[in-house]
Amino acid sequence: MTTTIAQTTQVYQVFIKASAEQIWDAITRPEWTARYFHGARITVTPDHYESRGPDGDAWGDAGVEVFDPPRKLVHGWKSLYDPELVAEDESRVTWEIEEDETGVCLLTVTHDKLEGAPKTAAGVSGAGWTGVISALKTLLETGKPLYG
Amino acid sequence: MTDDDHVFKALADPTRRHLLDRLFDRDGRTLTELESELEMTRFGVMKHLRVLEDAGLVVTRRSGREKLHFLNPVPIRLIHDRWIDKYAERQVSALSELKTRLEERR
Repeated sequence: MTTTIAQTTQVYQVFIKASAEQIWDAITRPEWTARYFHGARITVTPDHYESRGPDGDAWGDAGVEVFDPPRKLVHGWKSLYDPELVAEDESRVTWEIEEDETGVCLLTVTHDKLEGAPKTAAGVSGAGWTGVISALKTLLETGKPLYG
Repeated sequence: MTDDDHVFKALADPTRRHLLDRLFDRDGRTLTELESELEMTRFGVMKHLRVLEDAGLVVTRRSGREKLHFLNPVPIRLIHDRWIDKYAERQVSALSELKTRLEERR
């Protein structure tokens, strides 16, 4: 059996038929994130990133480095729902939204600084981020969640 | 061509699938690194990387003087959601139903 070492810089990119403002709302407001991000209610303000489970449990908490609506968001990433993840270093997530003249946006998500967070890196790679981003695209383009 | 067409076309070549596997093993590689593992000219590898980039399967980033290549797995996920889930699901549920029935008879 081969062991895969998850990457310490992960890049994800997708085209979404939606405006930059719609995408910005979808990644910073809990009523949106609850519909595609494993049910997480995520609230991002210029100085704080907070993720809560459906029952209000704290799932994630971190600082915000860049808050430039609707173009660029950079925040820390620290999971609180598992003691092993809590023990790891904080990593970083960058969202970049580029809109073209046809009303289509290119969304790039970069998760880096994962050197001190191997379990987090493994958890978000593969089905992790791709599932969230694919569900976000489906929700914005069809108005319906991908699952359920 | 639609987005899906580009992805299927990009994946329909063994060298390009090999390049994706190399990036899956270790991401953020330069052309020189990728080229050293293939029996192919630099120009040939560049051409394949371009097709992968056009399909959105590879994203490049500048780091100083170097251009790094990253695997972007999202298009494969979209193909999976659209084409694989749909057709595989019925068989999986049929199998799980068979398992349940057989186990009930014990």
